[in-house]
Amino acid sequence: MAEDISNVIDLQDIRVTFKNSGKDLKAVDDVNLKIKKGDIYGIIGYSGAGKSTLVRVINLLQQPSEGKVIVNGQDLRELKPVKLREARQKIGMIFQHFNLMKSRTVLGNVEYPLLGKKISKQERQEKALTLLKRVGLEEYANTYPQRLSGGQKQRVAIARALATEPEVLISDEATSALDPKTTKAILELLKKLNDELGLTIVLITHEMQVIKSICHNVAVMDEGRIIERGTVAKVFTDPQEKLTTDFVETSTNVKAAIDRITATINVEDLPDNQELVYFNFIGNATKQSILSELSQTYHVAENILFANIDQIDGENVGYMIAIIEGELVPFNKALEDLRPHGVKTQILSGVPVKGDEA
Amino acid sequence: MLQKLIPNVLQMKGEFVQATWETLYMTFGSAIIAAVLGLLLGVCLVITQPGGILEDGLTYSVLDKITNLLRSIPFIILLAVISPLTQFLIGTTVGTTASLVPLIVGIFPFYARQVQNALLDVDHGVIEAAQSMGSSPTEIIFRVYLREGLADILRVSIVTVISLIGLTTMAGAIGSGGLGDVAISIGYARFENDVTFVAMIIILILVFAVQIIGDLIVKAVEHNE
Ligand SMILES: Nc1ncnc2c1ncn2[C@@H]1O[C@H](COP(=O)(O)OP(=O)(O)OP(=O)(O)O)[C@@H](O)[C@H]1O
Ligand SMILES: [Mg+2]
Repeated sequence: MAEDISNVIDLQDIRVTFKNSGKDLKAVDDVNLKIKKGDIYGIIGYSGAGKSTLVRVINLLQQPSEGKVIVNGQDLRELKPVKLREARQKIGMIFQHFNLMKSRTVLGNVEYPLLGKKISKQERQEKALTLLKRVGLEEYANTYPQRLSGGQKQRVAIARALATEPEVLISDEATSALDPKTTKAILELLKKLNDELGLTIVLITHEMQVIKSICHNVAVMDEGRIIERGTVAKVFTDPQEKLTTDFVETSTNVKAAIDRITATINVEDLPDNQELVYFNFIGNATKQSILSELSQTYHVAENILFANIDQIDGENVGYMIAIIEGELVPFNKALEDLRPHGVKTQILSGVPVKGDEA
Repeated sequence: MLQKLIPNVLQMKGEFVQATWETLYMTFGSAIIAAVLGLLLGVCLVITQPGGILEDGLTYSVLDKITNLLRSIPFIILLAVISPLTQFLIGTTVGTTASLVPLIVGIFPFYARQVQNALLDVDHGVIEAAQSMGSSPTEIIFRVYLREGLADILRVSIVTVISLIGLTTMAGAIGSGGLGDVAISIGYARFENDVTFVAMIIILILVFAVQIIGDLIVKAVEHNE
C-alpha cells in the first residue's frame, strides 16, 4: 500500500466534475501530483483554474469523481469516516478568510482541534499557549478574533492548524487578503515552520511573487489541468507555456516594462541598425560584463531602458531591455551562442524570434 | 379614582393574577418543548440541505415540506384539528395544560425555520475549517453551529416567545384560561371594557419584559465576540 514514503501526498489521476445546470464542468481534469516530505510546493493559476478544488481533494473536503488520494501513505478514499477524520488531523489547512470562530477567544480557537482529545483542560491550554508563542501572539490569548488585524488572524489560524501536529499544511490563498508587508511576514513564518518542523506545505496562490519567495517546486494550473511543473528556478527561468511566461513576466515587472517601452517607442520605426532586445541572465551569467564585452567586440552601443535582478531559490536572475545600435547581424549570432551559458535573448523588434508572440 | 376607572377589574383581582400565571405557564411551558423540537428540526434542516454537512436531499425535502405545511395551518383551526392528539397525550382537550399541545405544534415549525436561518448565517468557511480539523458532524453541530449561532438563536427565540404570548390568547377558544380568555370571554362578552383593556396592558408588559430581558442576554453573549 504505502509505496513511496518520501511522497507525503500522492494524487493519482484525479478528476473532479461538477454538474452546473445540467452541464458538466471539469474543475480538475486528470491531475497527477506527488509532493515530497518537507517540500514547499506552490500551485499557481488564474481564478477558476481549479486550484482550490484540487487541494480540497487532498483532505477529501472535496470527493474526487475519479482517482486515488494517498496522503501519509494512506489511501484516504478507502478509509471509514472515523479514520478519515483522524487522517484529516494530520493535514492542516489555512484559508484566505482565516475562518476563525468569533465566539471563542484566540486561545479557544487554538484549543478547538484538541477538544476531542483525551487530555486535561490544563494540558490543552498549555499546548495552545505554546502554539500561540510560536506564532508570536501569546499576549492576545484572551482576546476575541474580531479585535485582531488580518495578519494576526492568519497567525492564529496557523497556530490552530498546527495543534494536531500535522505532517502537511495546505494554504489556500492564505495571504491574498493581506498587504505586501504582512504577506511577507506570514510567508516567513511558513518558511520557519517548514525549516523547524519539517512541515510539508502546499501553497495556492495567483501571485508568482509568493511562489518565488518560499516555494521549492511549483505547478501551474489552467482549466483543471497542470500545464507545467518543476523546480521554481527551472520554471522561472525557462517557462515553457505561454501562461507560465505571463506569470513570470508579471512578477518580474518585465511584462509591464515591455508594454511601457513599446507604447512609447514604435519598434517598427527603429532604423535598420537598431533593435530592441530583451536579455535574461541566469546564474553567474548575471555579470553585466558579458554584454560590455560583446559590445566592444562587435562595436555596438547599448541603451538600457529597463533592468532588474531577482533571487530565485538562491540563484540570481537578471532581466534587461535595451536598444542595441551597430552591426546587428554578427552581434545577434554571438547572442545565440551565449544561450547555453544562461543568457537568453529575445529581439522585440524586427525579425520575430523563438517565443515571440507579439 | 381606580374604583371609577376600572371598577370591574377591582372586583376580580384574583382572576387576573391567576390568568397571568396561566398565560406565563402556557407561554413558557410550550416554549421549552417547542424549543427542543424546533432546534432539532432546524439543525436537521441545515445539515441535510444541499451543501450541508450531512447532505441528504430526500430527508431535507420531506422535513422542508412538513415545516411549510405545519406553518400554513391557521392557529385557530389547528386548535380544533389537533384535539385527538391532545386527547391522546393529555387525556383531555380543554384547559390550560391541554392548550400546550396546539401551542407547541403551532410554534415549533416557525421556530425551526428561524433557527435554520440563524444557523445558515454561520460562516460556511468556519464549518469547512472544522471539517478540515477532523471534527465529526456532531462536534460541528454542538461546537460550531450552535455556539457560533448562539446570539442569533437567542434573538429568534425572543421573537418566538413573543409570538407565543400572542397565540396563548387565542387558546382561550378551547377554554385554556389566561389573559386572552379573560379579555374575550369576560371583558368582551360582558361589555366590561376595563377588563379587556387591563388584560391587554398586562400582555404588553409581558411582551416588553421578554424583549428587554432577551436583549440583555443577547448583549451579554455578544459582548465577548
Ligand atoms: N461546489 C461547486 N459546485 C460547482 N462548481 C464548482 C464548485 N466548486 C468550484 N466550482 C467550479 O470549479 C471551477 C474551479 O474552481 P476553484 O474554486 O477550484 O478555482 P480556483 O482556482 O481556486 O479559483 P480562485 O483563484 O478564484 O479561488 C470554477 O469554475 C468553479 O466555478
Ligand atoms: Mg480558490
